[in-house]
Amino acid sequence: MRYKGNILEVKGLTLTVSNNGEPGAVILNGLSFAVRTGEIMGLIGNSGSGKTMTALAVSGLLSDFAKIESGQIIFEGEDLTAKTAKERRKLLGEKIGVIFQDPSSALDPLQTVGSNLAEILRVRNLDKEAGRRQVLDMLRIVGFEDPEQIASRYPHRLSGGQRQRVLIAGAALMKPSLLIADEPTSSLDTVTSMSIMQLLHEMCQEMGISILFISHNLNAVRNFCDRVMVMKDGTVIDSDTSWDIMGQPRSAFTADLLAKSRLDPDKLGLTAGKAADDAPCVLSVKDLSAGYSNGALLRKSSRTVIRDITFDIKEGDCLGLIGSSGCGKTTLIKTLLGLIRPSSGSIEKNGRIAAVFQDPATSLNPAHTVRWHLNEALKASGRNAGGDKDSLFIRTLNETGLAEEHLHRFPAQLSGGQRQKVAIAMCLIGEPSAIIADEPFSALDAASQASVIKLLSDINRERKTTMLIVSHNLRVIRAMCSRVIVMNDGVIVESGDTASVLSAPATETTRMLLDARMYGV
Amino acid sequence: MRSAAGTILIKICEFALTALLVSFFTFIAFSVIPGDPARVMLGTDASEEQVENLRAELGVDRPLSVRYLDWLGGALKGDLGDSLSFRTPVNELIKSRLPVTLGMSLMALIIVLIVAFPMAAVCASRPGSLTDRIVSAFGHVLFAVPAFALSMLLILLFTKAFGIYTAGRYTAPSDDAGKYIASLLLPSVCIALPKIAMTFKFLRASMIEFSASDFARTAKSHGLTDLKILLTHIIPNSAVSSVTVISLVLSDIMGGSLIVEQVFNLPGLGRLLLSAISRRDFPLLSGIVFYLALITVILYFLSDVINAAIDPRIRDGRSL
Amino acid sequence: MRRRPNPKIYLVTGIILLSVIAVSFIVGLFWTPYGINATDPAAKLTAPSLQHLFGTDNLGRDVFSRCLAASRYTILVSFAGVAFALVLGTAAGLFAGYFGGILDRIIMVLSNSIMCFPGILLALMAVAVFGPSLYNVIWALGLVFAPTYARVYRSGTIELSSRDYILQAKIMKVRPGRIMFIHIFPNLMSQILPAVITGLANMTLSESGMSYLGLGVQPPAASYGKMLADAQSYITAAPWLIIFPTLMLVFYILGLYFISEWVRTTYGGGRA
Repeated sequence: MRYKGNILEVKGLTLTVSNNGEPGAVILNGLSFAVRTGEIMGLIGNSGSGKTMTALAVSGLLSDFAKIESGQIIFEGEDLTAKTAKERRKLLGEKIGVIFQDPSSALDPLQTVGSNLAEILRVRNLDKEAGRRQVLDMLRIVGFEDPEQIASRYPHRLSGGQRQRVLIAGAALMKPSLLIADEPTSSLDTVTSMSIMQLLHEMCQEMGISILFISHNLNAVRNFCDRVMVMKDGTVIDSDTSWDIMGQPRSAFTADLLAKSRLDPDKLGLTAGKAADDAPCVLSVKDLSAGYSNGALLRKSSRTVIRDITFDIKEGDCLGLIGSSGCGKTTLIKTLLGLIRPSSGSIEKNGRIAAVFQDPATSLNPAHTVRWHLNEALKASGRNAGGDKDSLFIRTLNETGLAEEHLHRFPAQLSGGQRQKVAIAMCLIGEPSAIIADEPFSALDAASQASVIKLLSDINRERKTTMLIVSHNLRVIRAMCSRVIVMNDGVIVESGDTASVLSAPATETTRMLLDARMYGV
Repeated sequence: MRSAAGTILIKICEFALTALLVSFFTFIAFSVIPGDPARVMLGTDASEEQVENLRAELGVDRPLSVRYLDWLGGALKGDLGDSLSFRTPVNELIKSRLPVTLGMSLMALIIVLIVAFPMAAVCASRPGSLTDRIVSAFGHVLFAVPAFALSMLLILLFTKAFGIYTAGRYTAPSDDAGKYIASLLLPSVCIALPKIAMTFKFLRASMIEFSASDFARTAKSHGLTDLKILLTHIIPNSAVSSVTVISLVLSDIMGGSLIVEQVFNLPGLGRLLLSAISRRDFPLLSGIVFYLALITVILYFLSDVINAAIDPRIRDGRSL
Repeated sequence: MRRRPNPKIYLVTGIILLSVIAVSFIVGLFWTPYGINATDPAAKLTAPSLQHLFGTDNLGRDVFSRCLAASRYTILVSFAGVAFALVLGTAAGLFAGYFGGILDRIIMVLSNSIMCFPGILLALMAVAVFGPSLYNVIWALGLVFAPTYARVYRSGTIELSSRDYILQAKIMKVRPGRIMFIHIFPNLMSQILPAVITGLANMTLSESGMSYLGLGVQPPAASYGKMLADAQSYITAAPWLIIFPTLMLVFYILGLYFISEWVRTTYGGGRA
């Protein structure tokens, strides 16, 4: 029996969080919203807007530091705030299911998947054999073809996507009426995210589970949710059907949020870098295979990750490299940069190759200043600074959009975008013939993304520095790269002119990558 | 990822290698004595004839490698030669003293475990509470008192306050098992107390960490009570992460017992060791050191095995 | 409402405890009320009084003077021993963690076998062979403590080696030595600092144990461990002989623990 009317109504919820005994900061401020039975309700907002606190308050998983000051949480007609902690805990897993962001450690590593799930039934004293069947059935529903085998495995042997499926199976095991999903896909790769979202969609459709879907990704919400609300400073400031809110946001904040999150590379006025026909080859890769060796004491086993990779890049070219995670992109790059020894094949480099990595949090050494980094790069390049090092450093920083004041800062004093720019400046100091950029913008906010993309594109065209760009953002690839390589399972499955590959994909891999983009993840 | 059998095989090889290295270090340490070892052992007032005899007995004229293999072969058969000062087989001397040291260490370990686990669970379930703060502060102080000083303080307390003096009344386990345990109880407590503090501190931290872990949150979302989560998830995981620490504690306990038995006048390996050092009885000394180290190596190996038995990640050859 | 203890409490308590030791160290260097080994046959085993603040021992030596003087050896052995352990452990840990492979195996097996000698056994062995002297005690205990630091540095180095900035340095072909000591080393400070302070405390525990056995600091120098050993026959007759040296040891060790706790909670870093 499904509950008629609004499955969840939050009325005037005010919540404070105290810190070390000091009076609490207001996190939720008179929050009111409703989730209708059988719908997927999206909840978006910046970090710190109170999204996660809302999820915790509704599910009853608040820490001891958080306190509900006033308001009601009405679930299936009953006010949850009036219930005791014990009653609320009993609702969890039974009537309300919850899944969280990071599935990597969300299962007890010492217990099998089956045991991790069966505890839901064990605490309710349900029949063991029937419970086992129920767990296996649910594992099948969430997409495992061999549920018995999955149930007997330990969590560390599952991939991130598999773990999230197991967790969804746990949340849905007792066929709850409400599922709270707090950023369930943000730590997963594109294709996996897409399949998880499809699964949630099916659960809503077929099992009639209402879903409160929390995300910071507007594009994900747009295609997936029936209705969307936007949170800011602990209240809902905008709410409507998802198409309306994306099309015509009512509040200025939503409009701003949309503008910021939606990076439109087409508007940056980029021209894809293209090599002249007679340009020399900068990087030529032939029949390259590489992998990792597990150097055990007794026997040496090795795992080949990439096989028979062949391509070359000419001077001034900008080549895109795409593929879902685990396809071997990172291994290829590390091999090109000399961090992994190839097991066979050849790499011919013409000049220095520099690299920019994904995560701005670890791209710079926290113990040293920007100047030290630039100096280190200068020393490594063996280039003659021509007397005044500092003026060279400042010139280079200026070129990347940074100023003299940043020269003596430590990485902790810089924003993510600024750090990526310092990393790029380090590349430029060495005057490389090519730069390999591994997802250099994916960890940045939209504004910084735009400036880093523009910067790399400018360097490509003005300095004639060859680029190899790895990104999952196909629109960026389309705007920046004249050629593209698609990888799957360690091999190149497709390559050619960017426009033709992306508009008329010849392989399933490319089609899946394009599909995932439709879901906006 | 490796198979479980492969992991065990590697562990066994490592164990054998470590044991071999330990024996080598022990042997070599007593063979690199500067100058003439026989002369050093006997002191300056020994006659030339005595020195000559000892040289022959030690076999110092043979190459080092031969002597090492000889000694190792003997050690494997349980024959470590004769003590120079007691004129009896080293083995028998050690065997007669082992019940004291091992019994004390074992009792101390049991005390550590049965006190530290519940205490950590209580404190970690309400971190920052009054109980937690008092217990933690007490732990810090215990941590800071050397075990032998603690022993003296406890002896002082027991004699002054309760009029019981327990030191120096050792009964062999073959005579009376009850009295044997009673005679080792106070020394064991003295060794255990600082180690309880150490184990408690580690367990408490790890339990608090696991309480905030994602899998504890998942268990909450599955509707489990906090107590159930503590019992089924947090304690087993803390136990796994503390196996290494507990084996370190055990090695510390054995080292500590060498000193503490001195305070209580117990005829254990510690006193034998001291008399061997003062009489420069190197065959006896190397025998004691080798046995103690070997016991520790075995303990570390066992802790690895236990770890692998409960943690599937380790069985797969992953390090934590 | 639950509160987490304010880390400053650790710092303040630690500083108060350590300043007691620091003052006795400095005062003890220049002045003690009586000679350290001056015996007074007329005043054997006298209880604490205004003449003898901490009482006298069985030979009539002033315990207060000896407590002041003994602090210098406690401090010297702990600092010198930790410094020796740190040099050895840092080098071993950085090399093992950075290069991995067979070098790592060798270093780890060596450090594991050192750890297989329980407690101070290895140090006792060294003293038995080379004779009890201050320097032998220092290097022997340093050797015993080195594996602890090697482990911290090794795991830290392995962790940092996969960071992008270290990969970047490798790509730029910075020499391994430079990567280890200039790129990696400074980033492990927050992890190693609490371990160093705790090491000072543990070193003191070990040194006092050795001195108690008569194999550490040698007479005529005064040390807390030896004072306690001498007092053993007078536990009930003259408790002050036990209480004051123990208090000095506890102040130093506890002070260090509190400071390391403060460092740990304030700057994050590794666990004990």
